[in-house]
Amino acid sequence: MDELTREFLIESQEGLDRMERCLTDLEERPQDTDLLGEIFRSVHTIKGTTGFLGFKRLEKLAHAGENLLGLLRDGKLSANQAIITGLLQLMDALRGILRIIETHNHEGEGEDLHGDAALIARLHELQHPEATTITVASAAPVPAQLTHASAKPASPAIPDSDTAPAPVAAAKAAIVLPDPPKPPAEQASDTGKPKAAAASDSTLRVDVVLLNRMMNLVGELVLTRNQILQATATDPNFTMLSRRLDMVTADLRESVMRARMQPVSNVFSKFPRIIRDLSQMLHRRVRLVMEGQDTELDKSLLEAIKDPLTHAVRNSLDHGIEMPDVRLAAGKDPEGTLKLRAYQESSHVIIEVSDDGAGIGVERVRAKAIERGLITPERAALLGERELLQLIFLPGFSTAEAVTNVSGRGVGMDVVRTNVEKIGGKVEIESRPGKGTTLRLRIPLTLAIIPALIVRSLNQSFALPQGALSELVHIPADRLAAAIEWMQGTPLYRLRGQLLPLIFLDRMLGNHAARLKSSNGTSPESETLPERDHFIAVLDADGRRYGLVVDGLADPEEIVVKPLSAILKAIGLYSGATVLGSGDLALILDPGSIATRAGVALGGAKESTEVLREDQKEDTMGSRYLLVEAGERRAAVPLGDVLRIERIPFSRVEYIGYRPVLNFEGQLLPIEDSAGVFASAQGNPDAQLIVVVCREGNRQVGIAVSHVLDVAAGNELFEAGSQHRASGVTLLNDHVTGIVDLGAIQPLPMANQGAIAQNSEWNQVSETLA
Amino acid sequence: MSEKPVVKSALALRKDSPAAALLEMCSVRVGQTLFGIPIAHILEIVGNTRPQNVPLAPEFVGGLVHYRGDVLTTVSLRQLLGMPVQNSDCKSGKEGHHDILVLESSGGCFGLLVDSVGEVLTVSAADHEPNPSTLDDRRSALFAGAYKLQQGLLIMLDPERLDPMHLGAAA
Repeated sequence: MDELTREFLIESQEGLDRMERCLTDLEERPQDTDLLGEIFRSVHTIKGTTGFLGFKRLEKLAHAGENLLGLLRDGKLSANQAIITGLLQLMDALRGILRIIETHNHEGEGEDLHGDAALIARLHELQHPEATTITVASAAPVPAQLTHASAKPASPAIPDSDTAPAPVAAAKAAIVLPDPPKPPAEQASDTGKPKAAAASDSTLRVDVVLLNRMMNLVGELVLTRNQILQATATDPNFTMLSRRLDMVTADLRESVMRARMQPVSNVFSKFPRIIRDLSQMLHRRVRLVMEGQDTELDKSLLEAIKDPLTHAVRNSLDHGIEMPDVRLAAGKDPEGTLKLRAYQESSHVIIEVSDDGAGIGVERVRAKAIERGLITPERAALLGERELLQLIFLPGFSTAEAVTNVSGRGVGMDVVRTNVEKIGGKVEIESRPGKGTTLRLRIPLTLAIIPALIVRSLNQSFALPQGALSELVHIPADRLAAAIEWMQGTPLYRLRGQLLPLIFLDRMLGNHAARLKSSNGTSPESETLPERDHFIAVLDADGRRYGLVVDGLADPEEIVVKPLSAILKAIGLYSGATVLGSGDLALILDPGSIATRAGVALGGAKESTEVLREDQKEDTMGSRYLLVEAGERRAAVPLGDVLRIERIPFSRVEYIGYRPVLNFEGQLLPIEDSAGVFASAQGNPDAQLIVVVCREGNRQVGIAVSHVLDVAAGNELFEAGSQHRASGVTLLNDHVTGIVDLGAIQPLPMANQGAIAQNSEWNQVSETLA
Repeated sequence: MSEKPVVKSALALRKDSPAAALLEMCSVRVGQTLFGIPIAHILEIVGNTRPQNVPLAPEFVGGLVHYRGDVLTTVSLRQLLGMPVQNSDCKSGKEGHHDILVLESSGGCFGLLVDSVGEVLTVSAADHEPNPSTLDDRRSALFAGAYKLQQGLLIMLDPERLDPMHLGAAA
């Protein structure tokens, strides 16, 4: 295929994409002359170029469409349902021919000419006012003429005599990659056009392959920078230089990443049409609301979410939104609302598909799951609402739903989840019966660079993606025997009262290595562990929770993911490799497959019930508290206010007047000691003090405690015989416990203690917590 | 593996070169044996690197090395030949360090771990002999015959057969 044809194909496709967007908009605003102008130009461009390239079939169709559009644009006709349907058909026909050209390099002469003729006749018919409604040209065409004349002199005032090149240029202007989508046409008439014209000068097309290469090279630069930073850390001469290198690299990386970003509107834009067609087919009335279309996402990720998103939208329409009469009967607007919303949340883009339909009946889900044999009735009885909703993601579930459904279009939610998880994303679902369902796709901003925690095991480094990491537990060597429990060779850890299955990374990876050098004599079944510190990384992979035991922790790092060769990928435990700042290589562990592999030995069912029970608890509780023991008393601190737990020697406590304070990272932290913890430790210079650092308003306070006992859910207490909620107490583990009133802690006598924004990367919960 | 394909590819190699043409071979040493690899297949020689071990990988995998922005899988020739993993007898004197030949095969690039890389030898196609029928299966699958040199035999290695994917499929 020659260059010219290829160019033509790309441009025409893009033109048609724009046309599709505009057509669905046109349905809502039939008088919008800008939309009409846009559509006209797309078709006109195709017509002009096809004549030039000799694609007769295309030209004839485009010409028929152009005539109709010309009338619409000049206000001689007004767009109605029939015309829009006709134009959409035209668009589909044009697309079809373009596809044929793309694969066969000719437009399929003689194929389906009959269909063409019928369509042309139909379009012709639509031009006659008696077939449609007659409208008098309103004031609308006038501003249109003005904008055309001012912003786009080359725009076809007299379509037939116009030559192709000008509209081609106009089309180019609007197609360019990362340009945010045009705002809805309310204000488009005065801003949209000049912007488009300017864009053609300031943007250019770049091959995606080149962008990928650039991304790769930047990744390389990041690694080199990391190494240089480490190597020059001690040399003062290089400090300035390496700092600049650091900054430039960071900027460059961001720019290249930005270049790969595209607005989600590229994916969203096809939904108006899908919804229009589907709602007609299913006889639903649906209004589509889209938000945050200019949120940007890496191009490859955008491609990857296209299908899951389409599935989700279809599901919403099919299973979510009810028939208009059902909606009316339920006291709702007969027109359902489907909302697509995209927004960025730190390093993720969240895409929500929500409808105001019937919601998911959890009881029906339960019944279906039991019927399909996906879950035993005994287990199903234990599940809460949230867990039941998760069942719809099980493979084989959706088909069951579809059988009961009138439309019979079953779309596997498991496919949605698998696709999203493949790119490191997550799917969440929320549903309220009768109110609607929200499906939330959580997509990482980019694939190539991910935050990871570097862990040590077998004397080498491994990278653990932060996404799966929920917390870290440190087990000092002397507490090892007590902390890790064994159930006939299976190690377990009690994390806040729940048994957490443990996987020893070194044992899992070192099976054959250990056999080779059995010098330390520990067989995998052995319940004795080497006397050293251990760390448990509590991971949450595909809904399975387990602890991965490693020998050591290093810094968290932003790592550049490098693909592994097929032979190493086949091992199944590694998702890639990376080069660390030290220059060492580290394998990236895949938490999901580690769970799968170990699950065979550990008994997966048990594991998941643990998770479910814990989740359930989270669900039912009002709020969670940190249960502490101070002196002889127990007290509860709202967990949301706890920033961190510090263990410090008593000698670090200083006094302002009579008030104990702590010099905490350069700031003064008042310490509340109402329970007399200090007094009990008096005279013991080596004693350790446990301080719970809390946020109170915009200051921080410390509470001295003797022990941290547990994290538990509190239930509100009501005074007997009344509806008065008791304040200051809660029911924790069936004991009435007082809540520490942080507000009552007196501020230090000083001007203003600035809030220290502290958000540690994760909660390093020390062993004492459990 | 039967001997048939081996002979065939040895013939093919001979056919690639014009009759009686001279071939340039990079000589590498593993233990006492001298091996030759056609230089056309060698992208680069990286000296004195320490590959990163990959737990649970097939035994012939010598580990990973960082090569020009990519992570390269290496094949240990010693492991392939069932020789003990060397310790400190290589020239750098440091444990676990190797010379690596970066080879290109149809499946992509990979590294070949050897004890040491020697000089480039020019051999004549006429001196080539196919694998002897008495060679064990494992070796005859790896070697592509040998060249008779004055100082001894230069065993010919074919990068395609050393490709980790190929080895993985055979294993």
